[in-house]
Amino acid sequence: MLKVGIVGAGTMGRTHASAYTKLPNAQLVGFYDADQAFAGRVAPQFGAKVFDSYDSLLQQVDMVDICTPTPTHLELVLKAASAGKHILCEKPLGRTLEQCEQMIEAARKAGVTLMPAQVLRFFPEFKQARDLVLAGAVGKPAAIRTRRGGPYPRAANDWYADFEQSGGPILDMVIHDFDWLRWTFGEVDRVFAKALTFKGLDHIDYALITLRLKSGAIAHVEANWADPSGFKVDFEIAGDAGMIAFDSRFAMPLTVAKQDAGGAGGGVAVPESPLAEDPYMLEIQHFVDSVLAGQQPSITAEDGMKAVEIALAAIESARTGKVIRLGGGA
Amino acid sequence: MAVRIGMMSFAHMHAYSYAHCVKQLEAQGKAQLVGIADDDAQRGQQVAQQYETRFFPSYEALLDASIDAVIVCPENIKHRPLTEMAAKAGKHVLCEKPLATTKADGRAMIEVCRANGVQLMTAFPCRFSPSYIRLKQMVRSGELGEVLAIRGTNRGRNPGGWFIVPELSGGGAVIDHTVHVTDLCRDLLGSEVVEVYAEIGNGFCHGDFDDTGMLTLTFANDVFATLDSSWSRPKVFPTWGDVTLQVVGTKGLVYMDMFAQNSTLYDDRNMRITLEHWGSSIDLGLVSAFVQSVQEGKPVPITGEDGLAAAEVAFAAYESAKRGEPVKLPLPE
Repeated sequence: MLKVGIVGAGTMGRTHASAYTKLPNAQLVGFYDADQAFAGRVAPQFGAKVFDSYDSLLQQVDMVDICTPTPTHLELVLKAASAGKHILCEKPLGRTLEQCEQMIEAARKAGVTLMPAQVLRFFPEFKQARDLVLAGAVGKPAAIRTRRGGPYPRAANDWYADFEQSGGPILDMVIHDFDWLRWTFGEVDRVFAKALTFKGLDHIDYALITLRLKSGAIAHVEANWADPSGFKVDFEIAGDAGMIAFDSRFAMPLTVAKQDAGGAGGGVAVPESPLAEDPYMLEIQHFVDSVLAGQQPSITAEDGMKAVEIALAAIESARTGKVIRLGGGA
Repeated sequence: MAVRIGMMSFAHMHAYSYAHCVKQLEAQGKAQLVGIADDDAQRGQQVAQQYETRFFPSYEALLDASIDAVIVCPENIKHRPLTEMAAKAGKHVLCEKPLATTKADGRAMIEVCRANGVQLMTAFPCRFSPSYIRLKQMVRSGELGEVLAIRGTNRGRNPGGWFIVPELSGGGAVIDHTVHVTDLCRDLLGSEVVEVYAEIGNGFCHGDFDDTGMLTLTFANDVFATLDSSWSRPKVFPTWGDVTLQVVGTKGLVYMDMFAQNSTLYDDRNMRITLEHWGSSIDLGLVSAFVQSVQEGKPVPITGEDGLAAAEVAFAAYESAKRGEPVKLPLPE
């Protein structure tokens, strides 16, 4: 039985909490959140305690699950590692590569497990697409497109809107796609990107990123925080023997539309895609099982850092207008 | 009086659709398909029969006939010589895209038409799409606020034949599929492309021609756009390809899938699923606009300069891929 503490009681912290309560081999002990009053309202929903300090939480648990804004990850991870606790850390692992390196080194020295929560690997549509690609279903992949996004995200202190904290949609959101692309198609050679990130717009951000992979395939990634119509994801993998295409708009088994009061119509159709196995649950289960078995999880901390590296290269390209080549060299 | 039209070469398959459009206008008394010339005589004769018109044994013979204008659809590299012949014979020209395969050729075509007092129109039928016209209206009315970014695609399949012989086509997918969406962006924004970055590949066909193109365009007004010009549609894809544009503005976003007006046909006899398009014919809009301009002596809506500006983006894309860095426009003359 693994005793779990969650840091950060926001949307992701609550999503993770719900998963731990369903696991037979984990026990959610409690939350720590800088906003203690907020955590105090959240914790009872999961039968968990609220801790008034991170240190006191660390004393009571075997692992921490870090669900806080990106720039706080470093300190939280370092403290957990030095306390000998295993760590599941939300993506992006760090705000900078140096932060990622420090975390990896600290976890290595302490002999604790550090896994970045690149949850896309547990989404069935993305996992299946990778399996199909590896099985040769589309032949050799040549052109890959991904799209992710919707309305501008809102959260505590509007922290997403602070680029220095969040890194904008490139670092915060399409890091999912970068990790999945690396996992599925191999390493990235170079990156070119354009973004609205540095234009000083009010709660609109958008980026179009082109990656050349070492395999020769070309990938195009859209990061969209400018679509008020709702969150959407799609991908397309075209190879020399076929193509796989997925669009979340058309993969919705349920659509509900409710009459407005008075039967005037005008209700917005709300689609749903229920799954027997929630991807966040699968991710957390994998982490807990790995830790208890003393095994390295399938997502390494280095994977988390590599994804950050691609995202930072895209940001650098968008900022400078230059092509950024990864792994050194001009 | 109906505008008398001759057609020069059916090497490009769009010629068939244009001929069909001219015949439709003929039925309305607006145009007349006087004849066809083709350096592939067998093809020319066959097409002349198909469209119930006269086959001329040479381009010269066609240009000597009583015609007002020509539609030019040879292999890309022959756009210049055929346009020059037609212009010198005093005929207005509707030229298939890409206008030219080099900047010098494009300039020469524009110049010869100007010198001979004839009009040169570039065949960009997407401008006549009712969906594009509506999108442009939304953008121009300010409904979407200030335009910030555009994501475009013009994907298709490898057409084979001369399209994959760079000596005849000027390249591959990038020269073939860059110009339509580039033209739409230029028209929509009223701004010129000032920089192009491109990743280009041949991962679909593994030939000596490009079949994959991912372009990033920057416009003078600071709008950026990407354009996927790849021949990436599989053989079993239910339609030829697509033209899509997603325009992001300060007040909203509009997505256009230009050829989405389809029904799905599940065909057991051919074991195929196909999208059957029932949207408006954009080619008819194009040919009608050309005919009307010639008839009324008014400027054509899409000029040779428009054609060259779009083609120049494709030239810059090849240059960018060669250099591995963004390329500034305009390119040197």
